[in-house]
Amino acid sequence: MAHISELEASLRPPAMDMPPYPPKAITLASGEEMVVRQVERNEIPTLLEAIYPLLWVERDFYDIVAARLFGELLAYKRYRVKDEYVLAGMIDGVLAGMVNGRLVDAKTGMSYHTLTIRRGLRVGSHLFAAKMEYHIEHCGQEEVLIVAESPIGFRRWMIEYPLEKRFEVQHELGGVPSWILPKETYYSAKPRLVSGRRPVPQELLKRAETIVLPGEETVVRQVAGEKEGGE
Amino acid sequence: MSDNVYGAKCTSCGTVNYPTRAVCRNCRNETFEPVEIGGEGKLLTYTDVYALAIDYETRYLRLAIVELDDGIRVTGQLLDDDPKLGKRVKTTIGVVRDPGEAPIQGLQFVPA
Amino acid sequence: MKPVYIVGAGMTKFGRSEWSLMQLASVASLAALHHAALGEIPVDAVVVANMGAARVNHQTALGSALVDRLALYPAMAEAVENGPASGASAFKVGCQAIASGMADVVLVTGVERMRVVNGLEGTDFVASLSQPEVEYIYGVTLPSLAGMFARLFMDRFGVERKHLAMIAIKNHENGAKNPYAHIQQTVTMEGILTAPEAVVNNPPIAEPLHLFDCCPVSDGAASVVLVSEEVAVKLAGPKVRVAGIGQATDTHAVHEREDPTDLKAVRIASEKAFSMAGLKPDDVDVVELHDAFTILEIAESEAAGFFGRGEAHKAIERGETRLDGRLPINPSGGLKARGHPVGATGVAQLVELAWQLRGEAGARQAKGAEISYACNFGGFGNNVVATVLRRE
Repeated sequence: MAHISELEASLRPPAMDMPPYPPKAITLASGEEMVVRQVERNEIPTLLEAIYPLLWVERDFYDIVAARLFGELLAYKRYRVKDEYVLAGMIDGVLAGMVNGRLVDAKTGMSYHTLTIRRGLRVGSHLFAAKMEYHIEHCGQEEVLIVAESPIGFRRWMIEYPLEKRFEVQHELGGVPSWILPKETYYSAKPRLVSGRRPVPQELLKRAETIVLPGEETVVRQVAGEKEGGE
Repeated sequence: MSDNVYGAKCTSCGTVNYPTRAVCRNCRNETFEPVEIGGEGKLLTYTDVYALAIDYETRYLRLAIVELDDGIRVTGQLLDDDPKLGKRVKTTIGVVRDPGEAPIQGLQFVPA
Repeated sequence: MKPVYIVGAGMTKFGRSEWSLMQLASVASLAALHHAALGEIPVDAVVVANMGAARVNHQTALGSALVDRLALYPAMAEAVENGPASGASAFKVGCQAIASGMADVVLVTGVERMRVVNGLEGTDFVASLSQPEVEYIYGVTLPSLAGMFARLFMDRFGVERKHLAMIAIKNHENGAKNPYAHIQQTVTMEGILTAPEAVVNNPPIAEPLHLFDCCPVSDGAASVVLVSEEVAVKLAGPKVRVAGIGQATDTHAVHEREDPTDLKAVRIASEKAFSMAGLKPDDVDVVELHDAFTILEIAESEAAGFFGRGEAHKAIERGETRLDGRLPINPSGGLKARGHPVGATGVAQLVELAWQLRGEAGARQAKGAEISYACNFGGFGNNVVATVLRRE
C-alpha cells in the first residue's frame, strides 16, 4: 500500500478485513455469459463515466440511483466510506450493471444500490442476489439492511425474497425505514434467486479483465428504452 | 354471507347459472331463485400467480377452478400445499380480496 | 356484400414511447395513408381501436380525436372497444362500412398507450375484462387464466415447457428481424429453460407459465386503409382483398366453458371466416396468432384448423411454424416479441400480413405468401375475431 500521511489516515474510516468476492459466470436468457466480479478502486472512473449520462434520466428513478451511486463510488475510490464493496456484471467485457453496499459491522450489512444498464435480461436480479451472496456467504453476516427507491426494486426484493420490516432502523439512503434480509431467508430463497457457476473459465475471465463501456447513447437508450417519439 | 357465492337457479328448467345472468343459458327463461354455491368437488386446474392485482401484497396467489359434485364449476382461492389435478376438495368462505374499505368474501378450497 | 381491399398499412415501433396517445395514432395513420397514396380521394370514415384510454390516459371519443389530428372532417368516426380484440373488431366495423356501400374509404387505427401507469395498475386494468363476481374478486388476472388453461391443456395433450420455449425462441428470432418489434433480443433454450440460471432468468408468472411465456406491455399504434373496389381500381400498387371475417363469443367466466381446454370461439370464428372466403386452413400460407401467452399459439393454431387437437406441439418440434417452415406463424414476432399495445395488436397483425402478401416484409418475408389468416383473441377467449386476407 502506498504511504499515506497521518492527516490522510485520520480522514479515512477504519477498515475491516473484507474477503474478496470470487467471480462467477451466469448464463443469461439470451444465451450470453455475464461475468460478475469485484471492482477495484482504479476501475471506478470507468463506472462513473458509464453512469454520468443517467443523472438526468427520470424514468424508473435512474436519476436518483445514478446520482447517489456516483457519490458512493467516488467515496469508495477516495477512501471516504467505511468498508464499501462494488461488484460489476460484464457481458463480453461490456458493462451490463453494477451493485454496491457496505459492511456496517461483522454482523450487519447495508445494501446501497443496484443499477442495470443492459435491460430485459434480469441483470439487476442476478447482481442484487450476488451482493446478498457476498454479505451472507462470503462475509458471514447475519443480515442485510435494504431499501428500494423504485417500485421495480420493491417488487423484486421486498416481495420476492421476501424481506422483513425493520422499520425502527433508518437506512442511510435518505432515512427511509429499512427492510432486512436475514440469512435464513437468504438460504431458503437461494435455490430460486441466486445462481452462477464457479470457477469462471479462464477464457471468459480474461475477457472480463477490462471494463468496456457501451457508448453513452447506448447506455441512455438501453436504460430509458427505445425513445420513439418526441417532436 | 357474501353475495358472491350465490348462483341463479332457473325456475323453469332448474339449471344453476353461475355467474348469474338475466336469461337462463339453457332455456332462455328470465326468472330465477338464488341458490348457495358450494360443497365438495375435484380440482379441475390451478395456478400459482405472481403477476398480482393491486390489492395483494403476497408473493403469489394460488387460484383454482373446481368442478363441484353437483356439476357446477367455480373459480376460487386454493388453500392446499399439495395440489394435484383431480384432487378432492371442499369449499369454505373467506376473505379473498381486501381493497381497503371492506374486505370481500368468496370461495376458498381446502382438501376434502 | 361488396368487396373490401386493404391498400395501405403502417405502424409505429412498439415498445416505450414518449409520444402521446393521439400522436401515436397519428403517426401510424399517416404511415398507412401515405402507403395507400390516395391522392385527392377523401377518407369517409375513421374507426379507432382502443381498450384503456378512458382509464389509463383519461381520454374518450378517440374516433373524433383522430379525425381532428388528421384534419379529416367531416368523416364519420367512432372508437371500438373489444378488449384485446379491439383491433380486429375495429377492422370488422370498417369492412362493414365498405361492404354495405356506406363508405368507400375507411381508415382503421388501433392504439394503446399503457405505459403511463405502473405494472400493477396495468395488470389490474387488463384484469377488468374478467367476470366481476366470480373471477375478478379472487385476484384473477389475465396471466392466472392463462396459467390455469395451460396446466390443463399441457396435461391433457402432453405439451411440455420446452414446446412453449420453442415458441418464445422462434418469436424472438422473428422479432429481431422486425424493426417495429418491441423486443429485438433473441433468447436461447439454455438461457430460458435448461441452464440452472434459467430459474432466475425465467421466473414463474402464473405456473406453469413463466416470464418468457408472456408478452410485454407496450405502447404503439397500427393502421390500415380500406377501400371499395371502385376506389381500388383507381390506385396503383398491389391489392389485398379481405376474403373473410368471422367472429364468435363464448362464456364470460372461463370456468363455464363447455370444454375448458377448447377455444370454441376461435373454432367458430375461424370456420366463419374460411367459409366467407371460400377457403380452408390448408390454403393458408402465413399466419398471425394472438400469443399473449405462448400456450395460446399452440391452442389457437389447433382450434383454427391448422393442426389436429394435440398435434400442434409436435409440428412445432419439427420446425413447421418457423419463418422458413411449411406454415410460418407469427413472422412479425407475435405479441411475444412485437409487443402488445392492447388496442393496436389486432390491426398490427393485419399490417404485417398485408406487408407479407404484398412482398414487403423484408427479412421476415414468408415465401409465396398469397393467403393469410389472423386470430385476435379478446377477453380470455370469449370474443374472437378471425380474418382471412388474399392477395389479388
